[in-house]
Amino acid sequence: MLTRIEGGRIIDPANGRDEIGDIWMRDGRIVDAPPGASADATYDATGKIVMAGAIDIHSHIAGWNVNTARLLLPEFRLGSPARPGAKPLSSAGWPAFEIGCLYAAMGFTTVVEPAVSPHYALHAHLELADIPIIDKATLAVLGNDDFLLGLIHRKEDRAAVQDYVAWTLGATRSLGVKVINPGGAAAFKENVRTFSFDDVVPSCGVSSREIVKTLQHAVNALGVPHPLHVHCNNLGIAGSADTALTTIAAAEGLPLHLAHLQFYGYGKEGGRGFSSEAARLAEAVNAAKSVTIDVGQVMFGQTVTVSLDVLRQFNARNQARPRKWAILDGDGNGAGIVPYNYRSADFYNAVQWAVGMELFLLIDDPWRVFFTTDHPNGAPFTAYPEILALLMSRDLRAQWMAGLPAEAVAVTTLPSISREYTFTEIATMTRAAPARLLGLRDRGHLGAGAIADVAVYEDERDRARMFRAAALVFRRGELVVRDGKPTKQVFGCALAVEPERDRAIDRRLKAYYEERYGISDDIIKVPDHAIGRPAPFELISCAH
Amino acid sequence: MHHAWIDGAPAELAAAAATAARLLDASRQPVIAGLGADVAGARAATALAQRIGAAIDHMNADALLRDLDVMREAGVMLTTPSEASLRADTLLLAGPGLTEEWNELPQRLLCARTVEPGAGADRRKFWLCPRASWLDDDDRSGSIHNISVIGRETGDLPVLLAALRARVNGRPHGFARLSPSFPQALDGLADALKAARFGVAVWSAAELDALTVEMLCGLVADLNATTRFSGLPLPPGDNAIGVLQVCGWMTGFPPRTGLGRSYPDHDPWRYRAARLVDSGEADCVLWISAYRAKAPEWSGSRPTVALAPADTRFPKPPRVHIAVGAPGRDHDGVEHHPMMGTLAAVTAARRSGALSVADAIAAIAAHLADAPPSC
Repeated sequence: MLTRIEGGRIIDPANGRDEIGDIWMRDGRIVDAPPGASADATYDATGKIVMAGAIDIHSHIAGWNVNTARLLLPEFRLGSPARPGAKPLSSAGWPAFEIGCLYAAMGFTTVVEPAVSPHYALHAHLELADIPIIDKATLAVLGNDDFLLGLIHRKEDRAAVQDYVAWTLGATRSLGVKVINPGGAAAFKENVRTFSFDDVVPSCGVSSREIVKTLQHAVNALGVPHPLHVHCNNLGIAGSADTALTTIAAAEGLPLHLAHLQFYGYGKEGGRGFSSEAARLAEAVNAAKSVTIDVGQVMFGQTVTVSLDVLRQFNARNQARPRKWAILDGDGNGAGIVPYNYRSADFYNAVQWAVGMELFLLIDDPWRVFFTTDHPNGAPFTAYPEILALLMSRDLRAQWMAGLPAEAVAVTTLPSISREYTFTEIATMTRAAPARLLGLRDRGHLGAGAIADVAVYEDERDRARMFRAAALVFRRGELVVRDGKPTKQVFGCALAVEPERDRAIDRRLKAYYEERYGISDDIIKVPDHAIGRPAPFELISCAH
Repeated sequence: MHHAWIDGAPAELAAAAATAARLLDASRQPVIAGLGADVAGARAATALAQRIGAAIDHMNADALLRDLDVMREAGVMLTTPSEASLRADTLLLAGPGLTEEWNELPQRLLCARTVEPGAGADRRKFWLCPRASWLDDDDRSGSIHNISVIGRETGDLPVLLAALRARVNGRPHGFARLSPSFPQALDGLADALKAARFGVAVWSAAELDALTVEMLCGLVADLNATTRFSGLPLPPGDNAIGVLQVCGWMTGFPPRTGLGRSYPDHDPWRYRAARLVDSGEADCVLWISAYRAKAPEWSGSRPTVALAPADTRFPKPPRVHIAVGAPGRDHDGVEHHPMMGTLAAVTAARRSGALSVADAIAAIAAHLADAPPSC
């Protein structure tokens, strides 16, 4: 089947294109225009914007945490404003089915669930398998698990850590590795209440810095395309910018990704001891070429924070609105679910919103700043269209700022920033750069050979309206969305890496699980047959 | 050996499935009850419920929703059995039913030694109001050392927990009348809990009311003001937690949710299967019990399709009975793991040709009148 998308403005920064032209698709891939051929199906994109399917590198869409948030908040209908009509299970608010439909409607075709505690990997993959249309991936969370802390404490050689990381990635079918408040969850079990980059877990004497550096080297040495994904210590507190700056400096020229940097953009200036440090952070990111970040933009409204940063969530439990929460002291990682309402009239929330905008606008390389709300922590992903509109219009930002507490705006640099994102920068940040960051060579662009995930938008003045409901979305060459409405129920796969390892680690972990838990290490493994859908995984190759 | 019956008489699977589909198609308010199934069975049952507009319930939803109610009304601190086993230096067992819900509790928690640094080798153990018969059994209690028992009547537990929570927070209480030695024992216990390095409270909601669970969870939360303490609710059987998770991600809600409207409608009273059947609101029942040969407890005469082991004894033969195997015994599956507290794949121990619940539902769904939704 040969399909042609005709006459649209093609924005494809990976291939340096911004021009009117056609896109041809055959058997699920983009192909060069076949000379003399006529398409079996043609879609008119005249006057429309054509981009590759968007990729979200950090959105909490599945797993124990997310599901517990649903069960904690039966009164919520998160992500429901644009919910599609009579679809199976579509009207429940935010079940798995609806997540896929809502993402696809915005032109997203690949989404990464970035916080899967290894023991919960099967649960996460089962949930992901019930999210339609989009492809998915998970990041496995290490850094608070006793096995790794033991390896570091005993100063075992780097090969042992690499083998363990490779074993974890393979067993849990993950695309990369994340650390979340490294050491913090372990220390919290020992009644530590604050934990910074050079603090140590009391029982093993291992610092957060050692954990980050050990895993950064292991991920790099294994050739896993996605660099170590770091959720720093001290999230959300005044002065957290120092922690982020320390962590950026610790990258030492090797790839390192800092997640939802907005939540670390706070200083202690001003009458309330809470101010924006976004400019300082942006300057540091601009200078540290091996570092990438995603923003974690805050938008106003009710949401729920879900995180494996149990220490942070425990400390935030008294700010829960509504007043209820769930905190888990789990194996290897903790977890916490704390509902929260960001209010535009609130000084602190207004500063948070501005810090996110500043980071987007002051980090000058769109290949190194990624588009996230840390869904649902800063805002549900359904707020993306409004954020894109804000990035593309200083006038719109000025309108928003006029509605915020003046003293909040005053502790930021946002009023002085005139930058407006171009379509090419938007497509870089949401397509080309995420594909490169995750090692997905055949996604995020529209060159021949790419997977034919394509989004076509009306070129509307109201950018939020434009990005909320794509005119057409193709998944592997097949039309799945028309005018923002899903047209077909298909299910994608999860992308995973499987780096090489010395199989001696398998025997060691088998013995570890048997001695420690009295059970088989099979507990952690995610077999294909357990997922209940055909071809549930796609292997992404490592550098070596 | 037969695998399907219609009105008690052996039948071909296809005929039984077709009859079941006709019953469900003809129903105005079907209910999918029991729901003792693995994850694949629960996914299939929930999708079927959406397709036919059924309510869904689980046979252990009373206990399941008691714990859930505490979470969604007040908040909870939780840990996993494995973390409790490795790390707890202090255990606070509350109420009866613990060894019944988790028969590995004695060897996993009570006899086990902590292996984590910082936790003492001698785990301190307290049991508030255990079942008297369990304690009186010398064989059992003799095998478990050094459990301090406080209170023997289950009915005393709410008062005891309230008084204990008051003492942990340094407030007076007025419950000295329970027994002369009570205040002293209670103060000693409050001190011991506050001295814990990592304490874990263990309970089973099968035998406690929600307010008692909430008081216990409040006690745990209060203890975290100065030390670390967490909660371990023992999961109800028949993969209740696994089904809860599936129901959560597929509908947004726990069991006792109706899918007959254009949106999932969670109402623990309205969609309780026994009430739907006893009141006559439900006019057809799909009963699922894959883990054990259990028939529904209600006496109503509503047409019933049962997916249950071949040897299930029903007071009256269901209209259709399709035999299913047990996950982890007859076939592979995914279920909630009692030790790790998460979903895990299980492999058939004695693989047989028995159908899984998902297989049986697929067989029935193939005969339904309407086509499955295309998007």
